[in-house]
Amino acid sequence: MTDTETTIEAAGNGAKMKGLVRFQHVDKNFGEVKVLKDIELTIDQGEVVVIVGPSGSGKSTLLRCINGLETISAGRLIIENQFDMSDPKTDLRKVRVEAGMVFQQFNLFPHMTARENVAFGARRARGKAKDEALATADELLARVGLADRGGHYPDELSGGQQQRVAIARALAVGPKLMLFDEPTSALDPELRGEVLGVMRALALEGMTMIVVTHEMAFANSVGTRLIFMDDGRIAHDGDPAEMFANPPSDRFRDFMKDVA
Amino acid sequence: MDFQFDVVVDSIPVLMEGLALTLQITFLGVVGGIALGVLAGLARVYGNVLINGIAMIYIEVIRGTPLVVQVMFIYFALPLATGLRVAALYAAIFAIVLNSGAYIAEIVRGAVLSINKGLIEAGKALGVSSWQNIVYIVGPLAFRRMVPPLGNQVIISLKDTSLFIVIGVGELTRQGQEIIATNFRALEVWTSVALIYLAVTTILAYLLRLLERRIRIL
Repeated sequence: MTDTETTIEAAGNGAKMKGLVRFQHVDKNFGEVKVLKDIELTIDQGEVVVIVGPSGSGKSTLLRCINGLETISAGRLIIENQFDMSDPKTDLRKVRVEAGMVFQQFNLFPHMTARENVAFGARRARGKAKDEALATADELLARVGLADRGGHYPDELSGGQQQRVAIARALAVGPKLMLFDEPTSALDPELRGEVLGVMRALALEGMTMIVVTHEMAFANSVGTRLIFMDDGRIAHDGDPAEMFANPPSDRFRDFMKDVA
Repeated sequence: MDFQFDVVVDSIPVLMEGLALTLQITFLGVVGGIALGVLAGLARVYGNVLINGIAMIYIEVIRGTPLVVQVMFIYFALPLATGLRVAALYAAIFAIVLNSGAYIAEIVRGAVLSINKGLIEAGKALGVSSWQNIVYIVGPLAFRRMVPPLGNQVIISLKDTSLFIVIGVGELTRQGQEIIATNFRALEVWTSVALIYLAVTTILAYLLRLLERRIRIL
């Protein structure tokens, strides 16, 4: 606890926004199926929240509500104390430039080089000039260790490299918050480390992150908060180290066993 | 078998005139068909209920009726209904525009729908607008996938122009028939006509293969 807090303080630059993400009694239904049930969750700037849980427990849906890829069915979801996600008048583009997303399947644009992929959002969503966007892209590709891969197309890169490009692509827009939807689940085990390493570095720089994953070691060492979802509800919400040391329920203990 | 090559040689100049008209109708018809097909295809994918419905009716009416009937309707029936009379050549071009447009609409729709939803979500998640997503992500990828079926449609439309014999447009098939009406040499003339179609479609197929190799279909 103290470890992670000092990390955040060290990386911090001025006042932290309280309640960067605020779920208030949020429900989400797909037709008859209730996927999220009465979600209460507040995430402050600088937190690294790791969300775990069995498949179908609503983790990804919760993440996708934050940037409006899913619309909530009931309750209130406020992003950055200003964007009301249940209001149809909310300009989702303004939310999305503040919340970068990394997908399980990378979803890089196959007709663009790595560099063009990364520059795309900076140019088209933020309106940067082409040169400026490409300079940002080069800088970010270097940060994820791919300075020499800028001219490659996605199908010429390994899965781990593609996912690092995808992280750079999300960062290029300049978000305050990063959403990771099972970023390593589609990767061979030996390629996961390079992606997790980039995510760890990002966390150390103070980026607010919400990570849906099955990587328990990452949750334990990088996460400042662990959320266990079960059947559409937040079953547990606490300090990762504590929860791993003293599993708060049999359900959580069983899940941990299954994942490990 | 009595095959007289001098009949073939004598026919060539007139058949070439016919071919020129065939190519002209095909080119103008398919260019218009692509424009109409892209509009109708996008209307099917992105249009509201009304626009989508209009595009769907258009496609079903054209696909559900023979091209010969369509062109005769345009050339013979439409003037009676509207008082507007068009030259046979324009009726032929218009028929290809309408006809190929319906099939191209389905090509466009299929290509657009085949684009991985994850890519569109990735675009949205970056905060780009819907039209930017269409212009920069869906469009370029769908276009690549449209090339093989579009080439197919060009070849079909080219051969379809032979049906305009029924309204007296002097395209390749019509010219062949008229030569036979004067010299009764069906064997030589229909062989020549068939070989000319085959030569043109073979060249088209080859050019298409070159194009497909140049673009990366992703």
